[in-house]
Amino acid sequence: MEKASHLSVIIDLSPTQWHLSAQTSNQYPLSIETFLSQLLAFLNAHIASKHENSLVIFGALPGKSVLLYSSTELLSDDVPSLDANSYLPFKLVDSAVVQRIMNEFDAIGELEEEPPCALVGAVTKALCYINRITHPSSTTAGVAEDPSIVHDPRILILSVSPDLSSSYIPIMNAIFSAQKLALTIDVCKVYGPDTVFLQQAAHLTNGSYIYLERRDALLQYLIMSFLSPTSIRKILAVPKQDKIDFRAACFCHKNIVDIGFVCSVCLSSTHYLLLSCDLAVFCQPLPVCSTCRLATLVP
Amino acid sequence: MAPRNRDDNFMDVDSDSDISLLGDVERRGKGKGKGKAADKRKKDKGKAKAKEQAYTWEASYTRSWDTVQEDEAGSLQGAVEDLMARGRRRRLLAPAAAIRRTIIRHLVLLLDLSAAMMDRDMRPTRFDLMLQYAREFVVEWFDQNPLGQIGVVGMRAGIGERIGEMSGNPQDVLKCLSDRTRLEPTGEPSLQNAIEMARSSMSHLPTHSSREILIIFGSLTTCDPGNIHDTLDACVKNKIRISVVALAAEMKISRDLCDKTGGQFGVAMNEGHFKDILFELVPPPAQRAVARAGGPGANPAADLMMMGFPTRLPDSSPPSLCACHSDMKTEGFLCPRCMAKVCDVPTDCDICGLMIVSSPHLARSYHHLFPVKPYETVTSMEGESETTPACHACARIFSTSASTAAASEGISLWGRYRCPDCHNDFCTECDVFVHDVIHCCPGCGK
Ligand SMILES: [Zn+2]
Ligand SMILES: [Zn+2]
Ligand SMILES: [Zn+2]
Ligand SMILES: [Zn+2]
Ligand SMILES: [Zn+2]
Ligand SMILES: [Zn+2]
Repeated sequence: MEKASHLSVIIDLSPTQWHLSAQTSNQYPLSIETFLSQLLAFLNAHIASKHENSLVIFGALPGKSVLLYSSTELLSDDVPSLDANSYLPFKLVDSAVVQRIMNEFDAIGELEEEPPCALVGAVTKALCYINRITHPSSTTAGVAEDPSIVHDPRILILSVSPDLSSSYIPIMNAIFSAQKLALTIDVCKVYGPDTVFLQQAAHLTNGSYIYLERRDALLQYLIMSFLSPTSIRKILAVPKQDKIDFRAACFCHKNIVDIGFVCSVCLSSTHYLLLSCDLAVFCQPLPVCSTCRLATLVP
Repeated sequence: MAPRNRDDNFMDVDSDSDISLLGDVERRGKGKGKGKAADKRKKDKGKAKAKEQAYTWEASYTRSWDTVQEDEAGSLQGAVEDLMARGRRRRLLAPAAAIRRTIIRHLVLLLDLSAAMMDRDMRPTRFDLMLQYAREFVVEWFDQNPLGQIGVVGMRAGIGERIGEMSGNPQDVLKCLSDRTRLEPTGEPSLQNAIEMARSSMSHLPTHSSREILIIFGSLTTCDPGNIHDTLDACVKNKIRISVVALAAEMKISRDLCDKTGGQFGVAMNEGHFKDILFELVPPPAQRAVARAGGPGANPAADLMMMGFPTRLPDSSPPSLCACHSDMKTEGFLCPRCMAKVCDVPTDCDICGLMIVSSPHLARSYHHLFPVKPYETVTSMEGESETTPACHACARIFSTSASTAAASEGISLWGRYRCPDCHNDFCTECDVFVHDVIHCCPGCGK
C-alpha cells in the first residue's frame, strides 16, 4: 500500500518569459493559459491518486513569491459555487490558483523594468513548509497533522526564466537543506535555456531535470515523469537528465564560469578573465579578494 | 550524507544534553583537576558535577521529562519555548561580523586504543562510545567541511598505528572506524609516537590548509621514547593545532599540547558532555588575529587557487577510458581545461594538474561567509498598523493573543520574529530552520 505523498509545486510566473513562450515564432508555442490548464489537470491527478495526498503551490513573481494554494489552509473564505459537474477538491485548487495568479498579474501593472523572479523565495518557503509538516512542533500539537502521513515530500519547479547568477548561493543552500530534509527536487524546464543551478538541484537531490522538447505535450511529460512518488520511480525508470554542468557563479561579476580563482581563505570564486594569453596583465580582476579583503591576487 | 542525523542535530533542542549546555562553561572551568593521578579522576568529576553525584555511573539517568516544568495550566508550552529561546540566545551571542575561517581543513583523528579504553565508566565502554561518536563526528565534519580531509591514527601497545590514510571521502573514513575487532584496545598509549606519526602525514600539505590533530584520550599515562616537549615544539613550528578530548581527567601535558598550539581542551564529564565537546570541534576554527600582523596583502597564507568546475557525463553516455585509472567507464567528469575524463571529484586533474571540484562542494562552505541576520523578536503588537495573519514562510497562522508564558528575553509572546531587512514575520520554527539549516531568508531571497 503506497503512503500518501506531499507535493510542493513552484510555478515560475515571469510575465516576460511567458510572453516570449507564447510567440508563434516558436516551434511549439505555449501560452500561460494552455500551460495552466494542463498543469491543473496534472495537479488534479495528484490529488485524485490518493485521498491523503497534500499539495502546496507557490508562485515566483517578479520581485516576490506568493503562496497560491495550500491543501491544509484555506486562503480565501469564498468557496466557489459548485455546479453539478465538478468535484469539490479539484474545483478548489483550480479556482484558487487561477484567481490568485490573475490577481497577482493585475497587481504587477505597468512597470518600466521587470525585477527578476523570486524563485529563491519560493523555494525557501516550500522548504519551510515541508519542514513544518514533517516536524510538527509541540506548540501546534492538536492540529490534525500526523507526522506519519507526510511521506516522501517532493518539490516540483516549473521554470521558464534563465539562471539568475546572483541566486547561486541561496539555491545551493536550498539544495543542502533539501538533502537534510530528505526531499526530492524535480525540475521541468518549460521554456528558455537550460539552467545550470536547477540541474544541480535535481541531480543532488536525486530528482529529475527534464527539458521540455515538445512543449505541446506538457501534460504527458508531467504525468509520465513527475506524478509518481520517488519510491516507485526506481521501478518505472523515470527519465533523469543528460549532462550536468557543475559550473559556479563568480562573485565579482556574477558570471557563470567553468574555471575560477578561488580565494584560499574564503573560497569565494573569482572570475577567470582570459582576455588574452598574457595572463600577467589580464588575469587581475581584483587587487584583493572581494569577499574577505585579505587575499591578494598575485598571478 | 546522513540527512536524518543532521536534522536530529538541529531539532534536538529538547534532548537532555542540550539542557546542560548553559552549565558547561562553568563546569569545565572547575574541571581543572589537581592532585595525584590516582584520585584525580574522582576529584575532577566530584568538583565538576554537583556534590550529590561523584561518578557518572553512580548518577541515575537524567530524565529529560524531570527537568521540564509544567506551567500553571499544566501545559508544556512554556518549557518548550524556553528551550527554543536558549537556542536563539546562543545564536545571537555569536559575533555578527564575518570571521575569517579556514575551510580547507586537514585533520588527523588520534584515537586512544590502550587498555584504559575498556573502562566502563561510560556506557557501554569508553571504547565503544568513542567509536560511535567518532563515526557521527566524521559524518558531521564532512558535512560542514566538504573540502577537508581526515586521517585516523591509533595509539596502542606503545606505538602509533596508521588506521586510515588521509581521505576526503567520508565513506573511507567511516570504513576504517567500523571494524571494531581490528581496533581492539591493548597496552599502553604513546602520545609522542602517535603525534609524530600524525605530524609526518601532514608535513607535505600546502600552506593554505589548516592542520589539526584531534586526540581522544582515555589514559592517564603516556609512554614515550623521547621528550614529548620536543614533539610539541615541532607541532607549534608546523602550525599544527592540537585539540584533546580527555575521558579520564586532565593531564598537564595534554593541557599544554592544546594551549601551546591553539587547540581546545576538554574533559568529558559524561556521555552527553563527551559528545558536546567533541562536536564543538566540527565548525571550522576562526583564525586568530596573528595572521594579520603583516597587514592585508602581506599574508602568505592567503592566495588564490585556480579551480575548475567539471561537467558530469550521464550514465547513458558512450564508454571511454578515464585518465586516472584507464578503466572503461560510461560516467565520469570532464576537466574543463583539458577535457580529460576523471572518475571522481574533488581531485587534481591527472593531465593538466588543475584542481577539479564540483561547485556544490564549494558552495557548502559559503554559509559561514554570509550568515543570515538574526531576526528581531516582536515584543509588542501595539502601533502595528497592518499585520500579516500567517508566517511569511510556512503559512502557519499566528495566534492573535499573546501567549501566557512568562516573558523571557529573546522570546516573542506573539510567536513572531521579524527579519530586519524585509520586515516579514516568521514563526519560531521557521526562525530556527532558516538560521540553522537554510541560511537564506525567505523574504529577502538572499
Ligand atoms: Zn577571500
Ligand atoms: Zn567575475
Ligand atoms: Zn578513473
Ligand atoms: Zn585537465
Ligand atoms: Zn513558519
Ligand atoms: Zn528577510
